[in-house]
This record gives sequence, C-alpha cells and structure tokens, in this order.
Amino acid sequence: MLAAGFKKAGGDEMTDIPILEVTNLKKYYKISQGLFKSNIVVKAVDDISFSIKKGETFALVGESGCGKSTTGRTLLRLTEATSGEVRYKGKDLMSLPYEKMRFLRKELQMVFQDPYASLNPKMTIKQILTEPLRVHKKYTPSERTKKIIEILKIVGLSEEHLDRHPNEFSGGQRQRIGIARAVILNPDFIVADEPVSALDVSVQSQVINLMLDLQKEFELTYLFISHDLSVVEHMTDRVAVMYLGKIVELTETEKLFKDPKHPYTQALISAVPASHPREVKKRIVLTGDVPNPANPPSGCAFHTRCPFVMEKCKSIAPNLTEVADGHQTSCHLYSEKKEEKTNVIIHSEV
Amino acid sequence: MSDILLEIKDLGIQFNTGKGPIQPIRGVSFSLKSGETLGVVGESGSGKSVTSLAVMGLLPEKKSKIVSGSIHFNDEDITKLSEKQYRKLRGNEMSMIFQEPMTSLNPVFTIGELLSEPLKQHKKMSKKERKEAIINVLKQVGIPRAEQIINEYPHQLSGGMRQRVMISLALLCEPKLLICDEPTTALDVTIQAQILELMKEIKAEKNMSLLFITHDLGVVAEMCDRVVVMYAGEIVEVAEINELFDQPLHPYTQGLIHSRPTNNSRKSALYSIKGQVPRPEEIGIGCTFANRCPHAFEKCLKETPPIFEKGDHLSKCWLQDSKRQAVMK
Repeated sequence: MLAAGFKKAGGDEMTDIPILEVTNLKKYYKISQGLFKSNIVVKAVDDISFSIKKGETFALVGESGCGKSTTGRTLLRLTEATSGEVRYKGKDLMSLPYEKMRFLRKELQMVFQDPYASLNPKMTIKQILTEPLRVHKKYTPSERTKKIIEILKIVGLSEEHLDRHPNEFSGGQRQRIGIARAVILNPDFIVADEPVSALDVSVQSQVINLMLDLQKEFELTYLFISHDLSVVEHMTDRVAVMYLGKIVELTETEKLFKDPKHPYTQALISAVPASHPREVKKRIVLTGDVPNPANPPSGCAFHTRCPFVMEKCKSIAPNLTEVADGHQTSCHLYSEKKEEKTNVIIHSEV
Repeated sequence: MSDILLEIKDLGIQFNTGKGPIQPIRGVSFSLKSGETLGVVGESGSGKSVTSLAVMGLLPEKKSKIVSGSIHFNDEDITKLSEKQYRKLRGNEMSMIFQEPMTSLNPVFTIGELLSEPLKQHKKMSKKERKEAIINVLKQVGIPRAEQIINEYPHQLSGGMRQRVMISLALLCEPKLLICDEPTTALDVTIQAQILELMKEIKAEKNMSLLFITHDLGVVAEMCDRVVVMYAGEIVEVAEINELFDQPLHPYTQGLIHSRPTNNSRKSALYSIKGQVPRPEEIGIGCTFANRCPHAFEKCLKETPPIFEKGDHLSKCWLQDSKRQAVMK
C-alpha cells in the first residue's frame, strides 16, 4: 500500500527504550488580579513525570480542565513550560534554542482536536500539505506534489482533492487531512489531541483504524490525549490518568481497566455508559464538580469528591508510588496500614 | 386521553437554501407513549434535531416549512397552531433541554430571572410563590445553595451545574413531554453519569415522557425503552431497546453497534461503515444507505425500500423483504 520512499529502515517494533522522558514538568498560568493584589497562579500541569517508549501509544486521560491538552502542547513547546525537563531521544527539548526546536519539529508532530478550526480555510489542500515540506526544505517542488498525492492516498483521499478548500470536506475527511499533514514529514512522535472526539461514531472508527494502520507502517509513537475511555481502552498501550494537573494513576491499559486503583479512576471507568441495555453497571457516581483549578483543594486534590476520603487526605498530598508491578497511583489508601488495604480489596472486587 | 402522547406521521420538512429547496426530513413517522423514553439516534445531519425542533415549533419560519405530514400532541395537530397557541404549549406542556448549556442560557439574566420566565408566562403566581417554586425545583435537580444561586449568573456556574439549571427550567411547569437534545454530549463522563441518573429519577417521579436525542449508543442503552434510528433524514429502524442491541435489522444500525470500540477486540481494526453521510442535496433514488451498505444489491439502488414490520420492530431495508418471502415460500 505504501510507496517505498515512505518506509523506514529497520523494523523493530515496540522497545523499552524511551523516546520521550518527561520529568517534573510544570506549567503555571498567572491570572492578574489588578495592580495591588497578588496574582493567582493556576497550576495547569503540576509536576508530572512519565516516559513514553518507542512505538507505543501512551494515553493521557482526564476530564476537561485536568491539564491533558496543556501537557501535550507543552511537550512540543507550543506553550513554554514553567519548569521541568522533556528529553526526546536524549536531548532536552525545553532548553533548545528556537531554530533548533523548529528543525526538530519534523520529527515531532501534532494532530489537533477540531478539524474545523485547525485547517486554514483560505488554503487549498495542496497548500496545506506543502507547507510542512516547504518549511523543512524537503524535496524539490515537483517531488513535493508527488509526495502529497502519495500521502493523500494513504489517508484515503485522492488526487482530485488537491485543489479543494477545507470547507468542501466533511469532518472525517478534514481529520484525515490533519493526519496527513502530521505524517507527511515522516515523524517519529505524534501528539494526537482528542483526534476523534469531534467526529461521528461511524467516522470515528474509520479514523481510529487509519491511525492504527499508520502506526504500523511508519512505526509511530503516539501520545493520545482523550476523554473517551472506550477509545483509549481500544487503542493504547499505557495510560496516565490526570486530575487537576497531576497524574493520579499510571499503568498499562489492560491493567487499568481490569483493576483501577485510584478512586477517581474507578469512578471514571464506572461512569462510561453501558455497551448493552442488559448490562448492569455498578456505578460510583461522584458528587460535585471538578474543583476550580485556580483554587484547588488542600492535600489530595480529589478529596472533595472521593468516596473513601480520610482525615489524612485533607492535609497531606499523596505521592505517585508503585502499588503493583508497573502500576503507579497517588492515593493514601495504598499506604502501608493494613486496615486501609482491606478496604481497598473489598472495593476492587466491586 | 389516549395512551399515545406524541404521534408524528409522515413528516416532511423543507429548507430553502441559496441553491434551491432541500428536504432534510422525509417521511418520518413515530409515536411516543406516555411515560416512555424514546431514543432518537443518528449521526450529525441525520435530521434528529430538526425533527425535535419541528415538534417544539421552533423551526426558522422564513427558511423552512413542513411540507407533509402531521404532529399530534395530545390528540391535537400542532403543526397548524398559531405562534400564540404554541406559546401556551412550549415550556408548559412540552419543554426542551438543549445540547450546549453554555450557550442556551441568556448570560445577562440571573438564574432566578431565567427561571421565573416560564412561571410568569404560564402560571398565575405571586412573586413569593414563584421564588419558592424556583428554589424547590433547583433543590430537586441537586443544586446546592439554591437560595444563593438564584442571584448568580450562568457564567458563574460549571457546565454540569448549568445543565442542571437547564433541566430545572424545563421542569418548572411539569411538562408532559420533555425533549432532550444531546443533553450530556458537552459534559464530562463523571458529570454525564450524574445527569443521566438525575433524569431517570425525575422521569420516574413525574411520569413524564422523554424524547431523548443522542448519537451515543451507550447513553441510549442506559436511558431508553425504545429507539428510533435515523439516517439522512429518514427513519431506518424502530425497535425495543434490547431487541435493537440483540438483533439489529438494518445494516446501518448493525454497523453503528459493531463499530463501537467495546465490541471489538483490543488493538484490532474496528469495524467501520465506509464512506460518509450523504448531504441532503446528494440524495437520489433508491435506499439512502445503499452507497455505504455492505449488503446492497441492485434493487437497493433503484427503489426506495418501504418500512417492513416484524411485530414492533420496524426497518426500512430490502433485505427484510427477501427474508419474508423466503419464509412465505
């Protein structure tokens, strides 16, 4: 299906070598309160660390406002981080000068959520797809057109679409163009920020299939940002669950869905609508809303909604610790005390 | 009063566009029994929202008109009503919850002012009674500190809270019919679970009928008694909820159910319906789904299938026809 020129040398699949390592990443936003009051600091991303292995699909999951999109954008320096380190193949991206970062972007691409807003309405498809090639000075102009036609075919469009404008396409087709734009530079790493949430169900599955195919063909590594847990369960390898700027649980996808540890993850998974009307779901309905990130609760940020809240949770913030093999969570329920542990086991059986 | 609260018969709606008239709704018929939750499922552009707007009498007057069929509410044809008569129904006998809680509340009024509007319109109440009624209904939908909330503006509330306000607004006059147009699509999953739970409770308490419009089959599975599946402005299947999930008859419904990630094994290619929903101006003769249908045969391209009945299970597909003949032979 693919032209030889697009294929990469070497064929090893997922390895343990991290392609991207994030340590203590922070992104704070200041909200000015006027001249004489001190600024409010919103900790959109608050001290998170994770690493993504080559060839895997790593998911960031959470509700709106939890900082998952900010994390994705900060990794690619579309917004500057407040502090922290992001190592891509050993290089620290945060300290790279602008020109070098720009050069490196051909390996690090992004697919955006809204296919209606992320394509310039005044440009034709050909112009949109030429842009990345032109910026990175790849190929001669005639070769570029050839490449563009090739990539259009790969994402399921054709040559006749070249001179059309984005408004002539449906949502699914636009997202295909967005994906083509990201893939045309032959990147290693793609941040996909809710790539299918704006699409209809029947089109959603087409785009997911396309992303899975492309991953195999190009050996891509994905950071998949989503709030849709059924999609995450289907296509990712590892998941980090975020709540108010922090990672509360991080593990392999299958483990997470089989045995969620953090009460927030448990509630989140139980809140997914049933797949069949006869399926009876034990539902943990959380009370209240996500707290205002400008004024997060003390201690564990989840304690205001947690069904298992203890005295300790209100004052001391838990750290992300390993509770089982390759399964990290930040919750006081998993500290050493035995009585608390039994409590947890009862719960996970539910 | 008969058992059927809302009956739509052969509804056709025409929109006038710059390029000439198009007909986004063609021959839609379904009925809603009192006390029932009827789901209307379809993708964007399938006409589910337009149908609901037609029931509410909210179609844009100059651009659109109902070209055929009737809508009977409480045994009365409401397509012929004047605007003045409609105002007596809307917000009183029937009300609607919209998709976007962010944009459907007027930002310049306080919650209290917003909520007193339907009461002023439909009920004779003193100011004090109104305030009491409002606080009551707010408490019912689970809004904390209702006494203070009535003096706050919509932007001061979160998405989930705003949707609760929308629901309380719809409930104020205790309508018989509540139309919910994607009420939880803009909300997070944990909030969605709260709102769905709330709506089930309220429905059971007030014995209302719900017309529940959504694209999410999971939500349908949780909420509805019966389901109408719409595709490109037509009804393609009507069935009881369990039957729809167990034995979907129309290839489109089958495709929708099979393409859900939970029905596919992890990491495998998802089942998908190829192509996309045709635009209203692209619809020609034959079955509207024929160009995407994996089972399409010659007849599908030439003739529009009629609705085949199998008990209460209706579907608009030629495949049902051949099966029936086979049985008869």
